[in-house]
Amino acid sequence: MAPIDELTILVPVDLSDPDPPRLGVVDLLDPLEVVLLGYFPVPDQAEPALIRGEYEDEAQSRLRDLVAGRDLTEVLVFTHDREATIDRVADQYDCDAVLSVREANEIDRVLVPLRGDVNVERIVSVTARLLQASDATVTLFHSVAEDADESYGEFLLRGATDRLVELGIDEERVDWELSESGDRKAEIVQLGDEYDIVVLGESEPSLRDRIIGRVLSHVVDELTSPALIVRETE
Amino acid sequence: MSVEGAELERTLGFVEAMTLGGGTMIGAGIFILPGIAARNAGPASSISYAIAGFVALLAALSLSELATAMPIAGGSYHYVNRALGSLSGSIVGWGMWSGLMFASAFYMVGFGQYIVEPVPFLDGRGYIILLGLAGLFLLTGVNYYGTEESSSLQNVMIGSETAVILVFVVVGVFFIQPGNLDPFAPAGARGVVATTGIVFVSFLGFEIIATVAGELKNPSRIIPLSMILSVVLVTVLYVVVMLVSTGVIPYGRLADSPIPVADVARSYLGPAGSVAIVFAAIVAAISSSNSSILAASRVIYAMGRDGVVTEWLNTSHPRFFTPHRAIVTTSAFTAALVLAGLRVDAIVSLLAEAASFSFLVAYSLVHVSLVVFRRVDPNEYDPSFSLPFPFYPVVPIFGVVLSLVVLSQMAPVIVLVGSGIVALGVVWYAVYARTRVVGEGLLREAIRPAPTDVNRVVVPVANPETQRGLLRLAAASAHASDHVGEPQLVAVNVVHVEHDSPLQNVEADRAGHQRDLLDAAREFADEMDVTLRTRALTATDTGEAILNVLGEERPGEVLLGWDGDTREGKPVTGSTVTDVVANAPCDVALVSLRGKVGTPVALVTGSPDDAAVVRRAAEFASLDGTVPTVLGVSSGDDDERAARGRATDVVSEVAAATGRSPDDYHVDVVDGDSDASLEDAIGAFETACVGYQGLEAVGGPVERVVETAARNGQNVALVRSST
Repeated sequence: MAPIDELTILVPVDLSDPDPPRLGVVDLLDPLEVVLLGYFPVPDQAEPALIRGEYEDEAQSRLRDLVAGRDLTEVLVFTHDREATIDRVADQYDCDAVLSVREANEIDRVLVPLRGDVNVERIVSVTARLLQASDATVTLFHSVAEDADESYGEFLLRGATDRLVELGIDEERVDWELSESGDRKAEIVQLGDEYDIVVLGESEPSLRDRIIGRVLSHVVDELTSPALIVRETE
Repeated sequence: MSVEGAELERTLGFVEAMTLGGGTMIGAGIFILPGIAARNAGPASSISYAIAGFVALLAALSLSELATAMPIAGGSYHYVNRALGSLSGSIVGWGMWSGLMFASAFYMVGFGQYIVEPVPFLDGRGYIILLGLAGLFLLTGVNYYGTEESSSLQNVMIGSETAVILVFVVVGVFFIQPGNLDPFAPAGARGVVATTGIVFVSFLGFEIIATVAGELKNPSRIIPLSMILSVVLVTVLYVVVMLVSTGVIPYGRLADSPIPVADVARSYLGPAGSVAIVFAAIVAAISSSNSSILAASRVIYAMGRDGVVTEWLNTSHPRFFTPHRAIVTTSAFTAALVLAGLRVDAIVSLLAEAASFSFLVAYSLVHVSLVVFRRVDPNEYDPSFSLPFPFYPVVPIFGVVLSLVVLSQMAPVIVLVGSGIVALGVVWYAVYARTRVVGEGLLREAIRPAPTDVNRVVVPVANPETQRGLLRLAAASAHASDHVGEPQLVAVNVVHVEHDSPLQNVEADRAGHQRDLLDAAREFADEMDVTLRTRALTATDTGEAILNVLGEERPGEVLLGWDGDTREGKPVTGSTVTDVVANAPCDVALVSLRGKVGTPVALVTGSPDDAAVVRRAAEFASLDGTVPTVLGVSSGDDDERAARGRATDVVSEVAAATGRSPDDYHVDVVDGDSDASLEDAIGAFETACVGYQGLEAVGGPVERVVETAARNGQNVALVRSST
């Protein structure tokens, strides 16, 4: 896959919150294209047009406050289904990744948990693009599943490291870590706190998720650092 | 980059539409009513279900066409309101709302029966009502606080209840004893039809798909598919359930059971089968009732949008964003209906029949609305699913007739209650809604013979309030040329959308603008004594949309507003206007209104626009009753005599074509090469009309007139002829 030249990220923000999170972290990712998605969740009980009629002005002004003169694309949507809206808007504007906004003062250390999924190539490309825009260092991380072979994880991480170097990242800035504890989610959440941003792949929804309700990533909600979720394009 | 305006996400897909429609239908109707149906019609009650299903299918067909033409919230109410006006709209709106309350109360009483009957120590009507109320209270609470993405939970519930019923029928057909099905129709045809009225309630629900049309992805495909498919599947299912029930247990015994289907299941599936049916019945009652509450809030929203009910009902909760007042009001009435069960013996069948009545009335009017839309064929009416011949007109005609037949066989008390609700709608309209509503129906247009000739003037407006001047000028133009036909104005508003995605509800924007336009237009049309139509469109390319309208309307002329800015003598307009001026199939006037129209002056320069310019000047003059002046412009080798001759020729030509006398125009000449005399000549008039194509001559008289007029604060009309 070719390296990504123009990295476009989608930043969803809940505008029903009177005090939505500030976009400081977006400035740290400055040379990237940003699509700001202000969404207003509408419960099943209400017709979205009803809520728009009542809250459009308020939502617009909150969105304007967030933008604060930045040069980015804004979209405002009233929706029953946040995930569906994120997917649609991300497709519409060809976004490579979705950012979950958290407080961040600098981006010096990047954590990239990798699984052996098909998306790994894209995750590495996005990470490379992020690193090119800053002087940050990166830690590639893999948690060995209980019944899996440890050597596969090492192979994966070494391969990813080589790819980053190929994409022009100084080897000094790349580091990797292999864990065998088995609880991938808990480890990422714990480790993530020590980093400034986490780059991870969109998780394939399980059958249960498909029936009971999709979750973009359970991990992301518990992280205290911002996270960049790389989308699957296929 | 700025925000264009908030988008409305369409989130419900095919599966959600099917579970919403099918799930609402498969409710208490099939678990409770087989007993009552068997009592009234015997085994032939399966035919009652088939007839009811057919009536529902006819309604689903008509609704599919209407819903794909207008995919926004409100369902039947919205179409009837648009087609037949607010009186019928009020009747259907109140009918649907009360019908949903009756249905909801019916589901909750059924819920109570299915819990009380199998449990040995619970007995009596009191418990049934108590449990029904408890269930309702729970549902109201959940809906008050609001749910997000509950559709997946709904999927699980509907999936499991359908699975249980499928096992019930598939195993059941092997236990049918032919002897039980004889006599097949003990109560005769009359009994079968009368039962149809009761069991019709089992089909309420497919329409919810149309009611939430504003939230459906790709409505043009999903609406017809899911409505028709769900009605057909559910009809087949009901007929088989009824055949199995009356075939396994003699109908006389079935008639006595408040939980008939569970009793049937027990006889061949044992206690486990009975428990499974009880479980399915409870789940079904909850999901049906829940969908009814959701649908009611859409109907109330749509009524509020049109001004038929107070906005107070539609104010959402400040924290949960649910229409809590609408929900609580619906639930309060529903609770009262459930409570009535304490005193009324046959509450179940009465509630069922009352709900059926309301919706049968609504569907009859829906069929009529379809005919009205087809006859009037307003330009916005462009359904992606259109009934082919002979389905149209057979479906609406049959639909009305069959609905009336079923209505006529209903119990007198139901007819009384139902008529009372219709009367309530009428009274409500007369007392409250009549003065507040903003829509107007198409009925008058449908029954009026088509006018022979019209002189149509199209005016694209961005904001009807601020462009009254332009509309007034257009009205005068339409009147002035009324020898062509009845003067008619068409105000067009195009809502620009960035992306025309089937995932977004732009229809809601279109409807909003249509409402604003109608609002402003009604007053104005009275004032100017002119027929005014409004068209609101959404498009990604505004210019193309206006050109489409011009193609369809075939107007005599189009009037475009322009703020009068010029750069190097050329009008500064968006690409939209340039596009329209260049490609319009009729005369175009680009008008910059800066003040009173007063006396217009037309410049005749020997361009192909001359005749159109003189015509417009005469039309504009009629607004203030002045006499237009036609100036022949001399320039270069063209001397004054030639200029005067040209002006006189154009005047006689126009006068002859418009049935006036050449004396209705002043004719004069001006030296086009002299700035001073041109300025002098123009200065005496309030409005200058010049040919658009004259602008091609850089530094020519037309360009200088436009600049002079801009300096002097005069009105300017740039006219381009279509020929």
